[in-house]
Amino acid sequence: MSQPTLTDIKVTETLDCRGLLCPLPVYKAGVVLNRLQPGDVLELLTTDPGALEDIPALARQRGETLLGVEKGDGTQTFWVQKGGTA
Amino acid sequence: MTTTARSALGTDRRLERYEDIRHLLPDVDHPSPLVRVRRVMPDGGLDLYLKLEWLNPFGSIKDRAAAYMLDELVAAGDVDGKELVEASSGNTAIALAALAALAGTRLTVTIPDGIPDEKKVLLRMLGAEVWETPDDLCPVDNPRDGAIALARSLAASEGGERYVMTNQYENPANVRAHYETTGPEIWRQTEGQVRYFFAGFGTCGTITGVGRYLKEQDPTIEVVAIEPQKGHRLPGLKSFAEAKEPGILDRRVVDHVIRVDDEPAYAFTKRLFREEGLIVGPSTGAIAHAAAEFGAGREGLAVGVSPDGGQKYTSFFDELLGDEGLPAF
Repeated sequence: MSQPTLTDIKVTETLDCRGLLCPLPVYKAGVVLNRLQPGDVLELLTTDPGALEDIPALARQRGETLLGVEKGDGTQTFWVQKGGTA
Repeated sequence: MTTTARSALGTDRRLERYEDIRHLLPDVDHPSPLVRVRRVMPDGGLDLYLKLEWLNPFGSIKDRAAAYMLDELVAAGDVDGKELVEASSGNTAIALAALAALAGTRLTVTIPDGIPDEKKVLLRMLGAEVWETPDDLCPVDNPRDGAIALARSLAASEGGERYVMTNQYENPANVRAHYETTGPEIWRQTEGQVRYFFAGFGTCGTITGVGRYLKEQDPTIEVVAIEPQKGHRLPGLKSFAEAKEPGILDRRVVDHVIRVDDEPAYAFTKRLFREEGLIVGPSTGAIAHAAAEFGAGREGLAVGVSPDGGQKYTSFFDELLGDEGLPAF
């Protein structure tokens, strides 16, 4: 079975943290992930370059799965799945 | 500081009517009380008076710094169209939230985890938004003081247009509040007899402002700082083994640092309740315990800060008590 591509990802909730400086995106992502159900996917938009380190570390620390990262136009988009797979 | 003309009845607070809660903020002519504690102090030690800051209008010593910091921001026009943000273990935030409401703005508080629910509920009652965060919020390098980092990032985000941070850990107005009010009050209330001053390490506004004022009056007055242990559960106090030293701390005015464990601090808090009738928070227990220990073999008049009251810590005290005070049958 092939790996899912980013376009296959079904986003549960989108959090727009563009313009916010770290650690704000980490904090807000944590709050949203706390209320999501296992298997749900958070789409997170950021502009602070620090997020490229912080968000993968946050996912690792919490035991979530980072499905993908996309960079472009000064915005980074992260897809984080709560608690691994559904 | 916010002032308006007081009533014609003069400066006797017992006779005065107040048109605004802010007029109850303490100052040199209307000091918070000093009350002697005898029963918990060992014989032959210091004559300790506690300065009961929980009788201030918003319930703690932080009323002073909050009023000074906010007044300064308002006077400079820095609050126009903005909301306030502050990192606080609760007391500064409670005073700021009340003062912000009176000034027609609102407050977002970043609060470290481990703060009793009572404080968080009071803040929400005052219309503040409460963001609780662990100290190790940043997952990459785990810097300490996550609440402070979060408040700073809020203030700096969105081009700095939405929030203004009072920044009690770096704001000289925090020191000035104590240099101009708490320090002179103690000097006058003790008629210049104070020999020792005890206060906790926290934002360090109190110890720096009071210490500086008292030492200017008499350089032989000894200033004693109380520092909790790493991982402590004494809200409002800071251990600099785990937290960054605030920029406003002036160590030149601190003669001694006493480290206090949670257990004796809470045990002493219970003694203050039961032997002195003082309904105080755990930081008062830590400070008074340190004064009792330090005072052995020393003489003279000592003043210790009682930063806040016990009502905001009932959930902590419930754990401390266990089954104590419940029917045994």
